[in-house]
Amino acid sequence: MDLENFVFKKVTEEIEARKRASERVSFHLHAPKALFDLVEDIEAPADPKSKHSDKVGETSPYVHPPNYALKEFEPNSGIFLRTNWQIQGYLQEQADALEKNGSSFSLNAFELILRQLHKLAPELHRVHFLRYLNSLCHDDYFAALENLHRYFDYSAGTEGIDFVPPASGSNSFGRYEIALLFLGMMHFQFGHPKQALEVLTEAVRVSQQLSNDTCLAYTLAAICNLLSEIGVSNTAGILGSSFSPLTSIGISLSVQQQLFVLLRGSLKRAESLKLKRLVASNHLAMAKFDLTHVQRPLVSFGPKASMKLRTCPTNVCKELRLSSHLISEFGFESSTMTTDGAFSTAWLKNLQKPLGSAILSQENGSGSNENAFQFCVQPSSIPGSVLQLIGSSYLLRATAWELYGSAPLARINALVYATCFTDASSSSDAALAYVKLIQHLAVFRGYKEAFAALKIAEEKFLSVSKSRILILKLQLLHERALHRGHLKLAQQVCDELGVLASSVTGVDMELKTEASLRHARTLLAANQYSEAAAVAHSLFCMCYKFNLQVENATVLLLLAEVHKRSGNAVLGLPYALASLSFCQSFNLDLLKASATLTLAELWLSLGSNHAKRALSLIQGALPMILGHGGLELRARAYIAEAKCYLSDPSFSVSENSEVVLDPLSQASVELQVLEYHELAAETFYLMATVFHKLGQLEEREEAANSFKKHMMALKNPLDDEDPLFNVL
Amino acid sequence: METDEDQRVIPFQLQFDKPVASQIKIAEWNPEKDLLAMVTEDSKILLHRFNWQRLWTISPGRCITSLCWRPDGKAIAVGLEDGTVSLHDVENGKLLRSLKSHTVAVVCLNWEEDGHLIRDDNGNISTYEDRTSCFFPPAPRVPRMPGVVSGDTGFMDDNEDSFQELSNSSHQRFNILCSGDKDGSICFSIFGIFPIGKINIHKFCFPTPLVGTQATYRLLNASIYKVALSKDLCHLIVMCSGELIEDNDASRDRRTAGHGMHGLHSLMLDTSIFWKRKNELHQVAQQASNIEDLTEVIRASLSVMCKQWSDAMHTFHEKFDPLSTLIIDHGLDSSPQEEFLSLLGGARTSPPVHQFLVNSLGEVGAKRVSKVVCGAGKELQLIVLNHLQPAAEIIGFRMGELRGLSRWRARYQGVGLDETLINNATEKAGMLLVQVERFMRVLSSVVQQFSNFFNWLLKCIKLLMSEPSDQLLPYNSELAVIFLKFLYDQDPVRKLLELSEADCDIEIELETMQRVKELVHFGGFLDCEYLRRTLAKEFQQMESSFKEAFLMPFSTISEKILCENLLPLFSLPSSPASTSFPVPTSISYYEDSSHAMSSNQTSQNSFIDYISFQIPEESFPEIANCIGIARGFMNDLISVKKGYSSLEAVLLGVPDGYHCVDLSLYKESQIVLLLNETTSSEGSGDACMMIVQANDLPFVSISRSTSLDYWMLHQLKI
Repeated sequence: MDLENFVFKKVTEEIEARKRASERVSFHLHAPKALFDLVEDIEAPADPKSKHSDKVGETSPYVHPPNYALKEFEPNSGIFLRTNWQIQGYLQEQADALEKNGSSFSLNAFELILRQLHKLAPELHRVHFLRYLNSLCHDDYFAALENLHRYFDYSAGTEGIDFVPPASGSNSFGRYEIALLFLGMMHFQFGHPKQALEVLTEAVRVSQQLSNDTCLAYTLAAICNLLSEIGVSNTAGILGSSFSPLTSIGISLSVQQQLFVLLRGSLKRAESLKLKRLVASNHLAMAKFDLTHVQRPLVSFGPKASMKLRTCPTNVCKELRLSSHLISEFGFESSTMTTDGAFSTAWLKNLQKPLGSAILSQENGSGSNENAFQFCVQPSSIPGSVLQLIGSSYLLRATAWELYGSAPLARINALVYATCFTDASSSSDAALAYVKLIQHLAVFRGYKEAFAALKIAEEKFLSVSKSRILILKLQLLHERALHRGHLKLAQQVCDELGVLASSVTGVDMELKTEASLRHARTLLAANQYSEAAAVAHSLFCMCYKFNLQVENATVLLLLAEVHKRSGNAVLGLPYALASLSFCQSFNLDLLKASATLTLAELWLSLGSNHAKRALSLIQGALPMILGHGGLELRARAYIAEAKCYLSDPSFSVSENSEVVLDPLSQASVELQVLEYHELAAETFYLMATVFHKLGQLEEREEAANSFKKHMMALKNPLDDEDPLFNVL
Repeated sequence: METDEDQRVIPFQLQFDKPVASQIKIAEWNPEKDLLAMVTEDSKILLHRFNWQRLWTISPGRCITSLCWRPDGKAIAVGLEDGTVSLHDVENGKLLRSLKSHTVAVVCLNWEEDGHLIRDDNGNISTYEDRTSCFFPPAPRVPRMPGVVSGDTGFMDDNEDSFQELSNSSHQRFNILCSGDKDGSICFSIFGIFPIGKINIHKFCFPTPLVGTQATYRLLNASIYKVALSKDLCHLIVMCSGELIEDNDASRDRRTAGHGMHGLHSLMLDTSIFWKRKNELHQVAQQASNIEDLTEVIRASLSVMCKQWSDAMHTFHEKFDPLSTLIIDHGLDSSPQEEFLSLLGGARTSPPVHQFLVNSLGEVGAKRVSKVVCGAGKELQLIVLNHLQPAAEIIGFRMGELRGLSRWRARYQGVGLDETLINNATEKAGMLLVQVERFMRVLSSVVQQFSNFFNWLLKCIKLLMSEPSDQLLPYNSELAVIFLKFLYDQDPVRKLLELSEADCDIEIELETMQRVKELVHFGGFLDCEYLRRTLAKEFQQMESSFKEAFLMPFSTISEKILCENLLPLFSLPSSPASTSFPVPTSISYYEDSSHAMSSNQTSQNSFIDYISFQIPEESFPEIANCIGIARGFMNDLISVKKGYSSLEAVLLGVPDGYHCVDLSLYKESQIVLLLNETTSSEGSGDACMMIVQANDLPFVSISRSTSLDYWMLHQLKI
């Protein structure tokens, strides 16, 4: 068959292909990639042009003159016999593309090629693996399982494995442990945490038996990843007996502590084996762990026992920095040298651009100044998996700063990712970066810009089910519906969000909590206080069960808000304080500021004699709120500040009107951008009363009119000009 | 009215005596510990313990004109002849910071700490803490230039730790260093690091010192003797010499007012902005001074990297340049790259290449160059990872914090924090982060290419020498091609690091450019062209945007420092030499114990100022050998409005046979006079020290209503 045409088609397709989003677990992305980095066991027929292949069995015996690729690349000049090496290269490229584009890859077309390939070259077992990957990307559980089995049955996993062969000749057992590792990760991918954990535990056992340290390191990392991603309330029955690091300690540990011990063990193992990429990914996992967990000492007594029950952000920062050391170390990794031919496809792509032809043209532009930077244009020689890891450290940074409360750094880190790493990353990671940017836009610049950006992003990452973009769209729609007072729409969107989550316990925890939180907020907006409180309570129980402390703080704040709105300020106070202490111990500074604001509002609603206290609370939180809070939070703070002044009996409007009017006018500007009718109406009401007291009638009328306008808009939610509504 | 009845002559016991090579010019006690800092005539700073144990000596190389301690006693500020104020660590004398804020010699320094713990009238926003230390490990330090420092690493580490500790502890309390120079400029800097204001006393108009006339006056040819900030930072008293002239706005005709208005004046400046906006200034200075530290780290990193890389490249070219001459010698018309390419392509090895590889370079040579280049690359990577990137990140964070402050207009607009400027600076900091990442990628792939190239070269040499080559590292021939094409004679790394005058645009892939443009819709940087700039250029732009942002508070605060009052003390001979006329003077603030009026006033008035000075014989022949002390100058203006004058003065006569060498206002309202016997001119003339309790002196209130008396001392004449 004319593979060449396929290659050509694929290459051009790739240039024009729209990247689509896919939901994949980041660690999983790296293992198959690593798997393909080494092609050594297939004896390919020697290329007639490579006269330099002096040593058989070397990693890269084929040396090609630069124009080799050019000569070969003549799409319609007849059928060529392909070398095994070329097909390997093709398959590797396809694997990369699969990883990058996820489910945008067409399932059937590629399957067809693979089947044909298999027919023509049955000894090429890697085809099975690609078929496995392909079905994995398209959520075809049975086909994936079958192909994975087939691959390991035929090849015994010996083909193209990155791992350092174990020292002793224990190869006779095949690569059972590796097969188990893949199986475990596949289960994880399909959302079967129980099976995955079982299989991985088995893999640990087998690799210990066969003393395959490398596989053990990878398996441990996979288990860590599994434990941190999936909400597991209790691992007692699963991880118990067969697992040495835990049983050797002999005390029962919580899941978090187990995870921590595992992470440490895995990191140490990877370091001693010099698996630099695994080390980096373990550092990332460690950072992720540190982000949301208080490190309690296992032994907490004695004079040196620290009483500090807080998370340690500096550790997060240190781990992240350690993980980015990979970029200077990847060259020293034991077994990764880019295989020959990796760039030829890149060159081919470059051929289609006028600029890229410089590489093959014979004139050499030596000495000229501008040429120095032509190097930067060339495809980077850094392996994609390395770039992915470095990039994900930036994504994690952005997430961390969202939690810790530094809006500029969260945005900048997402931007660094979007600027420097999207070419190398998988589409799901890129989508995540864009999602973060759009969220930032929505919070800081209002929905108009956010929806415009969302449209571009949707085209960029064509949405399929469960994609982040879809979730983001629902989130934005819900927020806006709440602000505009379209409660029906809000409820509808919220339900859709809930449906997206998997039904298995412990899977998609993030989405589940979010949907439930939004449900409670919708109820609150509809003034159904007891229902909202009930939902929030059950959510709190769930978060507590799965140890989602960060979400706990949010839920507690929501409960305080419910009590505030229902007029039970006294009941709300303990919730606000509890949320505050959660925020303190997890260093959630922005959330803390907003909890402080709620606390101040609660005090204020207790009576005017608490106005001073409320004001000082607000002013303490203002630098944080103004610097890192979104439009809504800022507006709320402004309004609360003005209210504090107004309710203070010793404050006279006529003397100090600026103190009140300035925040109010800022709040009104921000709320109008946000289209938050309820608060905007309140702002204008306050403004009108202030103007009334000052005797400025004209301004008073203006404010009153705006008030009326917003109230009308709130009462009659118009479904006009809402293009996104139809999309649903 | 001589009041030497307090004088008790106590024979001093000489504790220790130690000869110093050169004469001591200035000496200051540490406010906290028994440390004495001294400046010798030959421009050395010595630090001694009380028992004369010498701790360290440094010589800054320029003439030292003034010195003072930081209020917590952990650093010394030194004013130099050329207008630089530098801070030295008390532990080892290491230079911490230097700031060239003046153009002429810094004559006097005064470092005042906010005496009270922060107490706001509401008692509220005082607890804004710096979050940086919570989220980041300690800030990166300036990378060391390799080869410059060797051996004493242990000491250096110690050193740097104390530096860290120092710059942290300096940020605990709000303090202001003010420095006055010869030309009448006064600079203020918070923590001695962050410049917050600069004024020139020439520019002030003074209300007339006389009640009655309505003219305003200006000072001409002023030179500052002493500056002293009050403990609550509200007032600054400046003693300066100069000519007081009437400022006639209409005709610009400046005539000297009256007779001989050249003399020593005492000015009072209103610096209450420091008090009123203390919290705000404190926070801004805390962030800004740290940001400046970090930009320093980045600048040093860039220069160290540039140096290392160009050294390595120099070695590389030194070794490989002979090849091109060899090629010419063999009469071939090609370039080294082409020759290498044909070798790579498996064609016949041309004689020049053969000769070059086997004879002139050789295996050892190739290995050596490889080691040099790859080692340098590795160093550069480490500098980026350990210094450059963290510094850029922390700058981004701190700028974000400042942006938060700048948005609180009600409070921070008053200190000149401008939101748009800070926004701009934040954007620039973000761009720098992207640039650093891009640079890291370029650097990493360049290093990879180099090592790949050398691997290939080594293999070739082995082959040419027909030795076994199976022990060598594998290589990738495609990478070698890219190397020969793009890196062999070009150096993108250095181009990125070096600041060249010509705007060299970096070529950007079309895709990347599109992506950057698209990102604008996602809230990306509005300036799409930033990737075309080099790293060094980007850093330069960031720095200038910072400078612009911080200039705003600087100028805002400067404008808010006003002159309130002027008190002419005595005239000086208006000879041209009088600018360097040494007059012992001293200003201090004591807690006001005698006046009960402080009870009904705010905390601002609980201190009272004392100004003491020796009256030179030339100015008033009739009151020779006297010392004048004035107090209550600070509150005078307020009091005048209320109908009475709080300004009081007294004249101390020095006993006959002695003349005053120096005087100082010491703790607890004591005036310490150092007197020398004038009679016994040779040998050891008796020197004695006299301590006078100042607030027991019979002060005489001076009213300002007398018209013609410019020099206040005339009133005190008996």
